[in-house]
Amino acid sequence: MTSSRESSELASARRTITSEHNRSFSCSDVLENSVSGDYLNVGGTEPIPAGPASQAELYREAVDRFGPSLERLAGAYEADPEKRRDLSQDIHFQLWRSFAGYDGRCSLRTWSYRVAHHVAASHVIRERRVYSTLVGLEELEALSDKAEGPESADRRLNLDRLSALIRRLKPLDRQIIVCWLEDMDTASIAEVTGLSPANVGMRIHRIRKVLAKRFHEGGSL
Amino acid sequence: MNSPQEIWQNQSAERNTMTLKLIEWKARDLRAKTRKKLLGTLVCPLAVGLLYGFTPRRGMLAPFFICALIWSFAGLYFLNRGMRWATMSADAGLAGGLQFCLGELQRQRRFVQQSLLWSFGPLALAIGTFIYGLALTGRGFFPKALPFVALVVIWICLYFFSRWHEQRGLQYEIDELREFERGNGG
Repeated sequence: MTSSRESSELASARRTITSEHNRSFSCSDVLENSVSGDYLNVGGTEPIPAGPASQAELYREAVDRFGPSLERLAGAYEADPEKRRDLSQDIHFQLWRSFAGYDGRCSLRTWSYRVAHHVAASHVIRERRVYSTLVGLEELEALSDKAEGPESADRRLNLDRLSALIRRLKPLDRQIIVCWLEDMDTASIAEVTGLSPANVGMRIHRIRKVLAKRFHEGGSL
Repeated sequence: MNSPQEIWQNQSAERNTMTLKLIEWKARDLRAKTRKKLLGTLVCPLAVGLLYGFTPRRGMLAPFFICALIWSFAGLYFLNRGMRWATMSADAGLAGGLQFCLGELQRQRRFVQQSLLWSFGPLALAIGTFIYGLALTGRGFFPKALPFVALVVIWICLYFFSRWHEQRGLQYEIDELREFERGNGG
């Protein structure tokens, strides 16, 4: 009874939200559009192709397994609490939508992280922060960290410092550090970011060096 | 002592789950944003029409305005073309972060480039024609209207420069990522 009501609710929600976006797009279609930002078809009158029945279950499973990580991920990309909540909702919305096209070619974790990072990276790029104040790992290694003294060893402060450090990075480096902080192995990070495992390994080594430099004085690493 | 991973994973975060209501609300929100963007692109032809309406001796200058109007209507098509093929981050689940960031930056650069060509171009032509029309009205125009003309010219130059600078910044980012992609073996 409940499940049939649930499925009819889901079907109606699908009708409400989707118009053209359940169409299958190739990666090049997706990446070669000229408009900035995410859009929904405003007409919404076309018949909606039904997504796979498992969309809601997949979404629920992903949230159960990676929900807290996704919230932390949103925090790594946006410091402002209001915008962070928006970003987090966007991530969940896109994740929910994405499962209509999930075909199991990669693991649920890789898929969820990819979509979440894509949404967050789009957010950063759209906010025009990429080329203004953000730095790469290389520059971060060279930057001094004078403002932070050894007394800032406490957990909250360390978290703030860590978050601030992550938010200074460009999206790709941010993806690597966030995945690494979530205890993902090199191969999984390579899958999410699209970099070679060797490249990821090298960048993780750099991240560890930067973190050791920043946190060792605080006695927390 | 706490490792960064431990510090990171033990942070308190509110749990967020998408309910059907929230999904509907989010969809409505996105639709509204899209509508706003579509309406925003109408500003250029409207401005051209408005300038035409206020231009003295417009009969003589009509070909320029018609040209600007056609240009801006063509711009409407080209600027909105991308929106017809609605795409979102969710549709790129198979692309890695590097590929996605590269694509997103290219999209942004193309958007800046196209808005310069299809929005700014016709508007600049219409403004130029409007000023020319004013200048044709009498000899006393230029000394009196010089501050206005100077302001318009400064605005046009600043806008063009800022967009050009933005485009250059994006291109720099794209080149950097391409370099990175080559090093990655892509």
